[in-house]
Amino acid sequence: MLATLIRRLRALRLALPAALCALLLAACASTPLQPVALAPGAPTRAELVDTPFFPDDSHFCGPAALATSLSAVGLATTPAQLVGQVFLPGREGTLQIEMLSGARRQGAVAMVIPGTLAALKQEVDAGHPVVVLQNLGLSWAPSWHYAVVVGYDLERELLLLRSGPMRRQEMTLRTFGHTWQRSQFWAFVALPPGRLPASVAEPDATRALVAFERNAAPAAAVIAYRAALQRWPHNATLAMGLGNALYASGDLPAAAQVFRNAAVTHRLAAAYNNLARILLQQGRAAEAKQAAEDGLALAGPLRATLLDTLRDIEATKLPGA
Amino acid sequence: MKRFQRTLALVVCCSMLNLSLLQSAHAAMVSTEEVARLAVSSAPDSGHARLAAVLARDNVRSEMERLGIDPASAHERVAALTDEEAASLADQIDKAPAGGIIGAILLVFFVLLVTDILGLTKVFPFTRSVR
Repeated sequence: MLATLIRRLRALRLALPAALCALLLAACASTPLQPVALAPGAPTRAELVDTPFFPDDSHFCGPAALATSLSAVGLATTPAQLVGQVFLPGREGTLQIEMLSGARRQGAVAMVIPGTLAALKQEVDAGHPVVVLQNLGLSWAPSWHYAVVVGYDLERELLLLRSGPMRRQEMTLRTFGHTWQRSQFWAFVALPPGRLPASVAEPDATRALVAFERNAAPAAAVIAYRAALQRWPHNATLAMGLGNALYASGDLPAAAQVFRNAAVTHRLAAAYNNLARILLQQGRAAEAKQAAEDGLALAGPLRATLLDTLRDIEATKLPGA
Repeated sequence: MKRFQRTLALVVCCSMLNLSLLQSAHAAMVSTEEVARLAVSSAPDSGHARLAAVLARDNVRSEMERLGIDPASAHERVAALTDEEAASLADQIDKAPAGGIIGAILLVFFVLLVTDILGLTKVFPFTRSVR
């Protein structure tokens, strides 16, 4: 019994280094970036040469990268204007979340895109510079850095960046992949409302647009939601957003139409509620009551809201009755 | 028995808090953010309300000033977050141990905020340009 155990342990001692070697080899062989499957005739290189450049050799790579990406799509700004909005003096850096909200405060819609080489290529092909977060150091000694991808050359396996003090940095795909992997391949594209990143996924786009509506002028939010609904016509949240933005911009008939469609198509209590509110405002109490009752039948967590709406409808009806 | 009472009190407190938040959230129109929130979870309380309460604490304010952010700008910055983002931040603060609350809030504000919301698992979510 004991002899067997010892024999087993000995075997293990031999097997262990072999297993470790295999693991190490596997680690070395893996490259973080999946190669792009190129369609026949697809370009292997592209560069957005007109992308502006804001050199930075201190801690302002966040504002600089954001200003680069915004200015490139026609929202002229400078790093100096952005510092007060996205820079944390105590940490000498910029948070990812504030890169997104900073873009929003400049009137852009910032959407996180998939962290793949294919997505980067798609965006450059569409003329959109991409802000990426890299860790130029090591995972345990990080040196975080924002840069802007402005081009690629797949034959020479290069990515082209506006980065820190470098107007045109050529970085091998392999190195870029490693530095980008340490930020979990974080990247975003900022565009004026009405334009969408080529590669963005529906949930990321929806999240970004709801965030945009929060601080945007209603007219801008309307444009942004319309564009997204063209790509994802069946998204209920986007439809609600369009209705609310139209309402905020004062276009009650158009808002009512959008809410009516959303209510019927998605069976949404929220849409019925907002429709009822608009109808009430327009003095169409009977229709408003019908909409609120339809909504109440589906309410769930919004039950109290719909009861409120019904109560308000009843209250306005009484004096006229 | 005592523990039961305490639990009961907590539950009642929570539900009443929830109720008051619910009522304060009753604007006439249902906002897109609320729709988005309902699509994700059924919790109807506002992340911004919770976060604003944390930021209003004196110790948090002074710590933020030490780091070079003035409170007014902090509020503006929080206002630019979505409700989902704010709720996630408030959640992190709620989970922090009571003793080191300041440290925890800072950790949360400057580190975990990003790791949690944006899925970054590395330690330092802020960035420092090289060279």
